[in-house]
Amino acid sequence: MMNHKSQLTSEKEMKNLTTVTSSRRRIATGVVGVATALFLSGCATNAPQDTWKPKGPNAEKIDALQKLVFPIAGIVGVLVMALAAYIFIKFRDKGQAIPAQSHGKPVVEIVLTIIPALILTVCGVFTFRTIFELAETQDTEMVINVTGQQWWWEYDYPAQEAQGINKPIITSGQLVIPVGTKVLLRETSRDVIHSYWIPALNGKKDAVPGRIHLLRLEADKPGIYAGQCTEFCGLSHANMRMEAIALSKEDFAKWVANQQRDYVSPEEGTLAKEGETVFLNQCSRCHQVNGIKDPSGKAVISAPDENVYSGAAPNLSHLMSRNTFAGAMFDLVTKECRSSVWGAPSEEFGAKYLEGVSESCLNQKNLRAWLRNAPAMKPMYADPAKLEKTGGKYRGMPNLNLTEDDIDKLVAYLLTLK
Amino acid sequence: MFTPGSKYFLGLTGLSVVSAILYMFFVNPNDLGVVALFGVAVAGATIAGFTLLTRDGDSDTANEAVEAAAQPITPSMWPLAFALSLAVVLVGMATRPMVFVVGVGLFFGSGIEWTVQNWANRASADAEFNGFVRARAISALEYPGLAAVAGAIIAFFFSRVMLGVSKEGAPIIFMIAAAFILVVGIAVAFKPSFRGKPVVATIVASVLVLAAAGVAFTVKGERSELAVASKEDHYNIANRECGEESGHFDHLPNNRVSMRSSVAATITVEDGKAYAQLVGLPTKVDTVTIPRSNATTILFRNKDEEVRRLVVNLGTKTVAETGVVEKVGVCTQLVEKGKENALTITVPKPSSAEQQYSFTVPGVTGEIKLVVP
Repeated sequence: MMNHKSQLTSEKEMKNLTTVTSSRRRIATGVVGVATALFLSGCATNAPQDTWKPKGPNAEKIDALQKLVFPIAGIVGVLVMALAAYIFIKFRDKGQAIPAQSHGKPVVEIVLTIIPALILTVCGVFTFRTIFELAETQDTEMVINVTGQQWWWEYDYPAQEAQGINKPIITSGQLVIPVGTKVLLRETSRDVIHSYWIPALNGKKDAVPGRIHLLRLEADKPGIYAGQCTEFCGLSHANMRMEAIALSKEDFAKWVANQQRDYVSPEEGTLAKEGETVFLNQCSRCHQVNGIKDPSGKAVISAPDENVYSGAAPNLSHLMSRNTFAGAMFDLVTKECRSSVWGAPSEEFGAKYLEGVSESCLNQKNLRAWLRNAPAMKPMYADPAKLEKTGGKYRGMPNLNLTEDDIDKLVAYLLTLK
Repeated sequence: MFTPGSKYFLGLTGLSVVSAILYMFFVNPNDLGVVALFGVAVAGATIAGFTLLTRDGDSDTANEAVEAAAQPITPSMWPLAFALSLAVVLVGMATRPMVFVVGVGLFFGSGIEWTVQNWANRASADAEFNGFVRARAISALEYPGLAAVAGAIIAFFFSRVMLGVSKEGAPIIFMIAAAFILVVGIAVAFKPSFRGKPVVATIVASVLVLAAAGVAFTVKGERSELAVASKEDHYNIANRECGEESGHFDHLPNNRVSMRSSVAATITVEDGKAYAQLVGLPTKVDTVTIPRSNATTILFRNKDEEVRRLVVNLGTKTVAETGVVEKVGVCTQLVEKGKENALTITVPKPSSAEQQYSFTVPGVTGEIKLVVP
């Protein structure tokens, strides 16, 4: 009887031991799995915002600095963690006697102070040098004002003879710059703090209301460089994207010439002309199209300051020269057309980009869905019943309840804005 | 079951919940005030829980507590103060908002004091014990409250003095006051014999001197340029005269570092000519481009011998009622040589060939274009 009881107890202990062991194994497997997944995520090929792939001199300076600092930080981190793990395991409580306690080892303390100080000094020298190099603006060749608001970026190009810009250009979503040119972005914000970051071209810089912050960009080669707002700025912060488009100097001159073209109203009797009327009735309260006139021939000036919390809505002049809309969140072109631009070799990229959006390339699905009900596409504070705190002003585009007929006309009209 | 402390905090919790519900129904259900009141309720409930668990942190005292007396056993001035505060509230409603706010403060202060004293009087038949529990319940509010009132009075009188003395004298008085506080602090720290009555006497005398000076300068009024500016509502941007003939003068140009450190452009007058510089660029420019509908700060720097002001010309507008076409513009106040003044502008409409904007300095050549795309 006793033997049987003792055998049962022993089996129970064994079972408990097995349960503990398998539980630890599961935890260990999970930890290893997560660590492996994180490690392998570094091997992603389609990562346009990869900070380790600089495409311009400013980003290269940051890259050179992080290639120095990260290994040092990594070695120190691994050493500290390994030493801590060793101490936790080696000296864990096993019921042993408490060793003799002592205080103060001057030699060890001095050495352990000097080593980190030396490491920090080395990192500090290179960091400060890089910071001062990145802050250099005196040799700027081109200036662009960048204004952030919930949740898109506006770019305005002051007149600059050297760049062939003889009257201001205003655009949004895609920042177009010439390659090999030191471009100075003068950043600010209309509502809350945003942060401008094109990882391939430079580090991030906050855009703060009431202040002008400077950020220099320069691209080595033609191409599209993706970015993302990196300061939490509200509901659609994650959808506040941007793209820098670098064009050869010749292509940039073509882009400038196109942006400075005067407005041409659609021909009478066309669907696009009807779309212009819909635009004037529904959209021009907030969106400006430079040069558009009402039926009486008077220039139409939008009044976003009366309707939008930030006081601005994207200027839609030459909308179809861009590839994206709604804060660069949606493609204006179909997947195939976009792939042909993104995937174009450097020497062909400019020509592909300058083609703009043709009727066959227009992403009708995205644009129509946006016109049908914008807040359903992108989270925004655009419910008319909930605008008490903003004095009745929208943050984002509201649902205009357009009919399908109006949407057809508007799409036809917007296609003319090249 | 309930300790004296827990009753107080449970009462606070109940009052906060009721207030929050009333606030939700009668003020605004989405307002931060609801969150604040529920926060007070949660805090009160938590502290009540702790006081119950710990028996007010003093089991001996709780054990010694005897049954509550039926009647209050000490005279109280708080009902009188409460009634007076109600009178002040009513007077404030009929006269000035500030009187009303003071009345509301007195109303709550005297109401809380009266409530706590009444509650303490009923804690036991032992007056000494009652005094002890009253002090424990209210001291944590009384001392900070009195300190805040004393601080406000000192700040008020000090501000009257600083607004009344000359611009040159104000920094000297400030330095003397700061040095005096430092010396007294050092004396208290290093000389034990200086503690106690000498310190109290010094502080009382200082406050009395300050109060007398404050009253004197309140009667005398603010220094002349502030008084003139205030009378003309000079700080209202719509009332500024931007022409060459205007005599409004700014003796207090805006020197805030935060505003000066990140301006869109600096416009300088030098040798009778105005020019602009954009932050980050070394060259002088004759055009400044700023975003539409965005608060943008321009710094005006006067290096000329004459006093100057910067004027921003924002086109014209037609007055709807009269049909009269008026100039639209804002300006800095007059700035002395070597001084600067920041001006923040927001331009809601873009510039165009028909509606051109510019910066000018009356009496000086050189117009700087303002472009708003």
